Formats: sequence, C-alpha cells, structure tokens
Amino acid sequence: MGAISAAEVSYIEGGIAQNLRSDGRGRLDFRNIAITTGVIPQANGSSRCKVGGTDVMVSVKAELGNPPKGRPSHGGMQIKVECSPTANPEFEGRGGEELSLELTRGLERSFLGGPNGSGAAIDLSTLRIVDGKTCWVLCIDGLVLSSDGNLLDALSIAVKAALRNTGLPKVEVVAGGAEDEDPEIEVDDEESSQLDVSNAPVIITLTKVGKSYFVDATAEEESHMRSAVSVAVNRKGVVCGVTKRGGEGLEPSTIIDMISVAQQIALTYIPALDLQIAAAESVDPDS
Amino acid sequence: MKGLELGVDHERRISRAQQLLLNAAGSLHSTAFVNVGDVIPVDHEAGFLRYNAETGDVVVGRVTEVGGNRWKVDVNSRKDAELLLAAVNLPGGIQRRRTAIDELNMRDLYVENDLISAEVQSLHQDGSLHLHTRSLKYGKLGNGQLVKVAPYLIKRLKQHFHQLKDLGVDLILGCNGFIWIAGTSAPGQKDNKRSGSVVTSASAAEGESAVQFEVRERICRLANSVRVLGALGLLVSPESIIQTYEASLQFKVKVKDMLSADFYVKLAEKIAEQRTKR
Repeated sequence: MGAISAAEVSYIEGGIAQNLRSDGRGRLDFRNIAITTGVIPQANGSSRCKVGGTDVMVSVKAELGNPPKGRPSHGGMQIKVECSPTANPEFEGRGGEELSLELTRGLERSFLGGPNGSGAAIDLSTLRIVDGKTCWVLCIDGLVLSSDGNLLDALSIAVKAALRNTGLPKVEVVAGGAEDEDPEIEVDDEESSQLDVSNAPVIITLTKVGKSYFVDATAEEESHMRSAVSVAVNRKGVVCGVTKRGGEGLEPSTIIDMISVAQQIALTYIPALDLQIAAAESVDPDS
Repeated sequence: MKGLELGVDHERRISRAQQLLLNAAGSLHSTAFVNVGDVIPVDHEAGFLRYNAETGDVVVGRVTEVGGNRWKVDVNSRKDAELLLAAVNLPGGIQRRRTAIDELNMRDLYVENDLISAEVQSLHQDGSLHLHTRSLKYGKLGNGQLVKVAPYLIKRLKQHFHQLKDLGVDLILGCNGFIWIAGTSAPGQKDNKRSGSVVTSASAAEGESAVQFEVRERICRLANSVRVLGALGLLVSPESIIQTYEASLQFKVKVKDMLSADFYVKLAEKIAEQRTKR
C-alpha cells in the first residue's frame, strides 16, 4: 500500500484519538480473524490465517537432524518467512527481502526461546529421538500472500495453528547399531503424535500514533506508523519476546505500559484464538 | 468473497440470496467470475476490471508525480492521468498566462499523495487521459476517508457530488471506483482552499477543523456500507448507500460489526427479498 496524503493522515490520527478508526473499530479491536489448518497435505503441519485483508500461510516440515550443541536431549526449530510478489509488486525479486528478514527475526525472537532452549513455543525435549545423535528439526516456513497490515501478528497466529496441526511421525530406533555410528531410524508413516502448543505465544503488535496505541493496524494506518512494539505473550500472560519497530524513539515508561496493555489483551484474546484453532482442527478431515 | 470467511451456514444463506437476486434481475447468463448482484452494463471490448475513462467523468485520484508543467494522477486506469498546470484554477482566481514562477509553485497546490477530485477533460489516441479542475467544486480533498470499489459498480449519473445534509456528510462517487466520504466543510473554508491566497499543503491540513465524533461515526458507517456493497457486487449509488446505511441502523449493527459475515448475509437477504417482491 502506498503512502497517503497529509489530510488523510490527520483524519486517521483524529480517529485514533477519538477511538473510532476508519472501519469503525476501537483502538483495542481486532479485525475478523479466519484460521484454517491442514491446507498443505504434503507438510507435517500447515495453516492459513486471514486478518482482514492480510493473508498468510505457514507450513511445518519435520526433518531428522542433529541436536543443538550442548543440549543433546532437545530438538531444533527453524523459522523463515517469505513475502510473495502477489502481496505487493514491490516484493518481486529482492524487493521483499528486508521485510522478510524483519518478520523472520520477529518470529524467531518469539518462538525459538533462549540459548538454553527455555521459553520456546513448545517443549523442545518432545522432539528428541536419540540423545546426542538424532532429533526432529521443525522447519517452519511462512508465506505472505496478501498484505493489509499487521503481518507479524497474523504470522504468529498461523505458526501456532500450524504447530498444533503438526503430526510428528512415530519413530523406531533400530537396535544393535555400533556406538559411534549414526543410529538407524525407522519412520512410521501411519502413526503420528501431536505437539503441545498450549504455551505457544501469539504476537500482539501495538502501534503508537500521537499519544495513543492501538492493535491490528491496517496497511493505511501502518504506512504512517512511526513506532510500534510487538509483544509475544502466551495465554497465561507471560511475555515471551519483545520487538520494537519503527524509527521513532520511545520512552521506557511507554514501552513498559505498552507491554502491560498487550498482557491484558492476551488474557481474553489468546483463549479465544485457541478455541478458533481447535475448531479449525476439528473441521479438517485429515489432520 | 474476498477478505471474508463465511461459515457453512452463512455460505448457504448468501448463495441463496444471490440466486434470488440473479433471478430478479431477469434472464441473464451468470458465467460471471465476480460477485454480481445487479444488472451491470459492461462494454466487453474495453474490459471491465480497470477504469475506462470517458470525457466528462468525475474522478477521484491520487497525485503520483509533480513536475514539468503537469501533475500525474493515479485514477485506477491503465495509465496515470495528467493534470496540466493550464487546466487548474490558479490561486488568486484570475485568468492569466502561466509563467515559469507558476511552474515552480506547483507544489503549493498539490503535492505527491494528495487526493483530488477532477473531471476528465479529454482522452487521447495514445490512451493518455487529461483531467481538469476548472470549477470550484474540484480540488484537494480532506477531512474524510477514501473507499475503493470495482469501477464497474459505479453508474454514470448526472450528479457525482452528493451532500447528505441531514447527516452532515459529503459524498463523491468517482467513476473510477474511488469514493470519497467526508464531513461537510464550512462554506468559508472551501473558498480558502480554492481561490484566495496561496495555501500550502501543510497549512491546509492544519486549517481544516478536526472532524467531530458524531460526524466521524456517520462517515465510518457510510464507508462500511460502501465496502459491504462492493464486496457483494451491488451497484454503488447514493440510494443504495443510504439504504445500506439505514439497514445497518435498523438491524442495530454497530459500525465495526458491519464488516462481519452476519451483516453481509442479512443485507443480501434483505435486498433479495425486496427485489423479488417488486
């Protein structure tokens, strides 16, 4: 979405101050969120999330790999986001690289957890197969299909839904292998286990315009954004990651206030999302 | 329907309403791949997804370039339209030859990203489109919001500027699918913008008074009415907009809930019912 005129900017700012945005929403209202899962049958897990005009898709592929150094009983997670040219002609070729990188970093910070594996979206020890030798590595890929603002929030919802949709194939370690050799793994095509995503966070982005902040910015509102804070919170209100975006500086007290507003919103917003994801899962015939 | 996820129940009700609408429209083939709720005259040769200009059309456009002796304006057509310096009313209101100084002062009138209303002056052989704002009713737009719909949903009428007096809202239905909804500006202010002394774009934005909450609410409700009509594929006219506006009040729908599946379905059913009764 391109830039807008100075007159439109002042109209939008007025609306935000009066708690009545261009589509009638208040500052803390989200647009319609639609979630479907199991959209990519070849992947272990997938989902598609639409927030207003924003449309994103996430796929999860589970591959066999080596556990991270120093944590032999953990599995791995990798996240990558790509912006499709269908969302915006500017994303053709290398145009979407900067945005893709920003989104990837934002998701990594929220879902991957710290260097010792704590605080990750899921319990990484559920991905272990053979300590120190083999484990599951979840490759999470996000694709932005259509952009009408609030990409990071939509992607985080899609990632959580895709992880819930993911079926980890059952594995059997073939006994009798030598100590220093890589163990043989038999992957069962039939049976799979689901991941526990009850502690997985969702990102709530608060955009600051003038003196007030609001959630779920449309592309128009975002084009005028000077600073925003994206907070990853889980359903218990625990903060899992914070990213500040935009070129304008913020007072520390403002940032702390925005984080607490996000925590407040999370207490009702995330359980509602969890119900929606569960409903999407129950509709999906082959999860 | 773009941008809207409907549950199974809603899907069923909406397709039933659309079927009723098509039946009421008469014997027409429905091989359309877009949502069509009305009988819409379409010129197959010209194509219908982009705006095809005709002389005399009123359009709303966004300035993309400033320079030379013209502005380039995006009107949702194949090419950006041109607004020549010679085709605008100079501040001061007098008619005179444009000088080099006028060219340097072009930015005082319109800058990049400004929204303007204008009339199509002429169409040229090479497909280029020329606009003019040689009337006090055309010019820079402020104090409101822009809603975009498909151009084929706007019929060419005698009047494209509508003043909804009892709502205190001005409505401009651009033939290119760009619709401007704003609070009625006080008569004194309007003159200031057009003739009078040179008004820079910055001071114009400050000079306009902030939109009152009641007026803003009505603007939002009208804007959402237009969005719903656009999504359902119904012709956008002042009558249909007001009808949708009043339906939303009748159903006691909050402004923000107008974009939910519930209201879409209720509106489609109501209009289908009306048409079949006729």
